[in-house]
Amino acid sequence: MTGQPPSAVPEGAAASGQQASSADGQWHRTHPLSPVIRLWQVIVVVLYFLVQDVGQGMAQGEGGLPVQGDGAGFGGRSVAFGTLGLFLVLLVGGLLSGISWRMTRFRVSSEALELHSGVISRQQRRARLDRLQAVDVVQPFVARLVGLAKLKLEVAGGGDSKIELAFLREAEAQRLRNTLLARAAGLHYETEEAPQAPERQVLDVPTSRLLASLALSGSLVTAVLIMVGMVTTAVITRSTMVFGLTIPALLGVLLPTAGLLWGRFNLGFGFRVALSPDGVRLRHGLLEQRAQTLPPGRVQAVRVDQPLLWRGVDWWRVRVNVAGYVGATPSGADSENTLLPVGTRQDALAVLALVLPDLGELEVAGELGGGDAVRSTTGDAVRSTPQEVVEAGLTGTGSGGGFVNSPRPARWLDPLAWRRSGFRVTGNAVLLRRGRLLRQLDLLPHARIQSCGLAQGPLQRRLGLVSFALHSPPGPVTPGLPHLAEAVGARLLAEQIDRSRQARAQAGPERWMEASPNRLRRDEVPAQDGSPVLPEPSAQAEAPAQAETPAQAETPAQAETPPSPGVR
Amino acid sequence: MTAPKSVGRQPGEPFDPEGVAWTRVSPRLARARRVSLGIWLGLLALAAVVPLLALGLLVPTAVVGMVFAALGCWGQWVIGRQVRAWGYAERQDDLLVRRGILMRKLVVVPYGRMQYVDVDAGPLDRMFRIATVQLHTAAAATDARIPGLPPEEAARLRDRLASRGEAQLAGL
Repeated sequence: MTGQPPSAVPEGAAASGQQASSADGQWHRTHPLSPVIRLWQVIVVVLYFLVQDVGQGMAQGEGGLPVQGDGAGFGGRSVAFGTLGLFLVLLVGGLLSGISWRMTRFRVSSEALELHSGVISRQQRRARLDRLQAVDVVQPFVARLVGLAKLKLEVAGGGDSKIELAFLREAEAQRLRNTLLARAAGLHYETEEAPQAPERQVLDVPTSRLLASLALSGSLVTAVLIMVGMVTTAVITRSTMVFGLTIPALLGVLLPTAGLLWGRFNLGFGFRVALSPDGVRLRHGLLEQRAQTLPPGRVQAVRVDQPLLWRGVDWWRVRVNVAGYVGATPSGADSENTLLPVGTRQDALAVLALVLPDLGELEVAGELGGGDAVRSTTGDAVRSTPQEVVEAGLTGTGSGGGFVNSPRPARWLDPLAWRRSGFRVTGNAVLLRRGRLLRQLDLLPHARIQSCGLAQGPLQRRLGLVSFALHSPPGPVTPGLPHLAEAVGARLLAEQIDRSRQARAQAGPERWMEASPNRLRRDEVPAQDGSPVLPEPSAQAEAPAQAETPAQAETPAQAETPPSPGVR
Repeated sequence: MTAPKSVGRQPGEPFDPEGVAWTRVSPRLARARRVSLGIWLGLLALAAVVPLLALGLLVPTAVVGMVFAALGCWGQWVIGRQVRAWGYAERQDDLLVRRGILMRKLVVVPYGRMQYVDVDAGPLDRMFRIATVQLHTAAAATDARIPGLPPEEAARLRDRLASRGEAQLAGL
């Protein structure tokens, strides 16, 4: 462990250090109410039956008071048995979860978060903080009523790699989050706890727009159409059999749709996006509230898409891949991966600018970059701004904005969207656009691409086409292009591998505030004007210069090895 | 249809990048797969033929037998081609894996992206002295599987990939 170096202490930290801290390197338990909250559904059910039983018993008791007959006695006994049974269930459940709570401990050191849990099979989990991908403070409805919250840490592992501390006091969960983020960033404060990083609100989603977006969603419209169709048929034919079939069929259509829409509404309610030095902060949720923090450089891929019906109002949705976030839940809402449930084009661009602040040079070396080597256009390369490039990706077709799209033979396999399918490479990212009806644009930073691939079926082979795929950690973004000319695909693959390697070599450290040339400050919101467009290259130029000023909360550059190698 | 006719089998086509020397997998993989296919087809054929024979239906028996024989022959031929199409190449910074004839696939995995390496060998594989090496990255879509490696080569490849991965490890 590194000793805490003598660095200047921010004024705020001293005050928060007074409170009992859960990040002091000692073992701690979660809040004593946690088992109750975990069991709340069981408790409610038990209470419900209990009340019903007792009520029934009382009613029967009153009615049959004079008669001590067999019937009343039997009823009373069954109530007693039922109650006893429920009590037993509750008792055993409570005991088990109580023991499980007793056996659950966590500890936060400067390098890792450790969680020991389990009664019969003990589990010890240690998450390295430099591998931290995201920290969420989640408040399920019941926990919110009593002011508790759970803290979820994502470290990128296969499958189930998250650490969940359920439940802590809300304030404590937030303090712990701040500390974890500061330590993951490579900062050490003299006190055990780090102050909350300041943040700047970027945008919020009005409830009216959210509702409108749900009304315009394909699933609702489909459900309504099916409903109208069925009712009309039933009315026209006037047969009782059709009527009899209609009602269950309607339920079968309506219930899943309602569930889906409710899931989206619940997710998007009160959606706010803010920027802080700890990363992008997302707050949302109606019943279950969630405050997510995505540190810089943790977003692996971004998808901006637009369902057909949102086209008239020009609304867009933004989702991301983050290692560890699982993607769509059964309810159909990407509750963790959504960066913007619905927003105007300006909103989408603003959110994009948060997770991908710089597209880099628009004219890149290599034959498939912004240059026109492949496209047979005139010699003068189109000078476009980053915003133009992204907008061409959102709505454009053909070679506008420097995109390279599918060649003409692709029209046989993809008659509708072949002029849309295309890619554009910039200095820092690759943009893949697709879809005529459901428009989508995927953006991947070069440094975040895991691997690349080509595939070719028999028809594609006859037409001289290949499919190109970029591989990103699991999530809603599955980047790929269906049909490219063979030569273009092969060259894109070769160049992309090269670019990714170079970008990785230049990528900042995993502890994002540690000794990198353009260091960030944690006590100041990153300088970025509020304009909802991708910043011009000139905006980036001043960022490193500003970082030269000595930051209060920083340690001197630590002579520590970068994230240690090791195949996990 | 404007399919370029010249792109048939020349070097530099998408699945054969220039300057890449492919290593083929062991022909023992073909043998293992043929045996496995033979066993399965044989069992199925028995299940189909025996009842027919028991019922004394000679002509259907012959027809079914022919069909299975044809399937078997076709399968043997396809397996040979498939196994010959499977190849891998270790480059300076990445591993290339190529496979398939009808559906051709090529995947390029940078060593630095590797999370872990699996080496598998089932009972039939062990009988034919082959093993499968699979490279895993953080992306589930990365399908870098090399079957049919002699065990020594599998072990060598595993160690080599692991050491190269460690040398070039980058964060996610």
